[in-house]
Amino acid sequence: MAALFKIKIITPEKVFFDDEGTLLIVKTGDGERGIMANHISYVAALPSCPLRIQFEDGSWRTASLSSGLLKVGQNKATVIANAIEWAEEIDLDWARRSEKDARERLSKLSPDEYEHELANLKLKRALNRMAVKSQNK
Amino acid sequence: MASGNMKDIKRRIKSVESTKQITKAMQLVASSKLRKAKDKADNAKPYFKALYDTMVEIQSENADFLSDYHKKNESGKTLLVVIAGDRGLAGGFNTNVFKLAEERTAALGKDNITILSVGKKSVEYFKKRGFNIYSEYPGIAETIRMPMVVHIADGMTGDFKSGKINAIEVIYTTYVSPLTQTAKLQEILPVTIPDTMEKRLQLPDYEPNPRTVFNQIVPKYIAGLLFGAIVDSFASEQAARRSAMENATDNADTMISDLSLLYNRARQASITQEITEIIGGSSATV
Repeated sequence: MAALFKIKIITPEKVFFDDEGTLLIVKTGDGERGIMANHISYVAALPSCPLRIQFEDGSWRTASLSSGLLKVGQNKATVIANAIEWAEEIDLDWARRSEKDARERLSKLSPDEYEHELANLKLKRALNRMAVKSQNK
Repeated sequence: MASGNMKDIKRRIKSVESTKQITKAMQLVASSKLRKAKDKADNAKPYFKALYDTMVEIQSENADFLSDYHKKNESGKTLLVVIAGDRGLAGGFNTNVFKLAEERTAALGKDNITILSVGKKSVEYFKKRGFNIYSEYPGIAETIRMPMVVHIADGMTGDFKSGKINAIEVIYTTYVSPLTQTAKLQEILPVTIPDTMEKRLQLPDYEPNPRTVFNQIVPKYIAGLLFGAIVDSFASEQAARRSAMENATDNADTMISDLSLLYNRARQASITQEITEIIGGSSATV
C-alpha cells in the first residue's frame, strides 16, 4: 500500500482539488514526473499537459492542465494552475474550435512575432485537451 | 390657487416616488453584484498567495539573485494602470480614483507616462485630457476572467522586458468595508518583495533553475495582481453605488413625507376655504 500525501490544485477561480492521493503524474520540461509521498522539496514550471492522480483505492483521475507551477514540500504537492479541468468536463467541440482558430492565426503570423508564441500556446492547450479527452472515455 | 398648488405638489410626489423606485432597484442590484464580486475576490486569494509565497521563497533562498523583473529600466515611460467604473452614480467612487491619478500624473510629468485604462469612465477621462494611451479596456470588470487578464499582463511584462516601459503602477479602489472604499496606488514592476522568509534547511530543487522558474512566475503573479485589483475595484464600485443609492432612497423618503405634509396642508386649506365660501354664500341668501 502506497503512502498517502496531500495534493492541492489551485486556480484563479477556485480551489480545484484538495484531497489525498498516492501518486501525482505531471509533465515538466524534462519529461514526465511522478510525485509520491515524502518527495524532496521541488519546484517546477509545468507546460500544458495531462495531470493524473492515483487514489488510495488504486483508481485514477485525469485532468487537462493549461500551464502552471508545481510545488512539492513537507509531504504536500501544490499545483498552481492557470486553468484545469477534469477529463469528463472537457468540451470537445470547444477544444476543436480553438484548435482551428489557433492554426488559422499561426498561418497568418510570422514566427518571430509575440502573437505567434501566444497562438502556439493556444494550439498546445487545445491539443492537450483533445488528447486527454480521447484517452479517458 | 389652492387646487393648482395641490396639483403641483402631487406631481412632485409622483416624480420623487418614481425616482425612489429607480434608486431602490439600483441599490438592490448593486448589493447582489457586490456579493458576487466579493466571492470572486475571495476565491482568487489562495492562488495569488501561493504564487507570492513561491516568489518570496525563491528570492530569499537565493542571495544576490536578480531576475529580469527586478531592475528599473532607464528608458521608457511609466505605465499607469487606472481602474475605474463603467458607470456613474456611485458616490465618489470614480472621482476618488481620478483624484489620485491626477496627483500621480502631476508628480511623474504628463510626458513620462502612458495610460492603460480599465472601465468606461477611465477611458473617457484620459482620452478627454489628451493623455498618452497605452491601451483601453472598457466594460470588462463585471465579467472578467483570468485568460483575459493573463493576456493583458503578458503584453505589459513583454514591454517591460524590452524596455518600452520602465515601471508599472496600478491605481484602483480597494474594498475596506461596506461603507469604506479607498483609492490606492500599487507598484507592480519592478518587483519589490520583502526578504522576510525564514531560510529552510533543505532547499528545494528547482527545475530547470530558480531564475527560470521565477521569471515564469512573474507574469502570472502580475496577472494575479491585476485580476485582484480589477475584482476588488468592481466590488468597491458596487459597495459605493449601494450606499449612494441607499442615501438617495432615504432622501426620497424624507422628501415624500415633507411633500405629503405640504399636500395635506394645502388640501385642508382648500377645504376650509370652500366651506367658508359655502357658508358665506348661504348666509348671503338667507
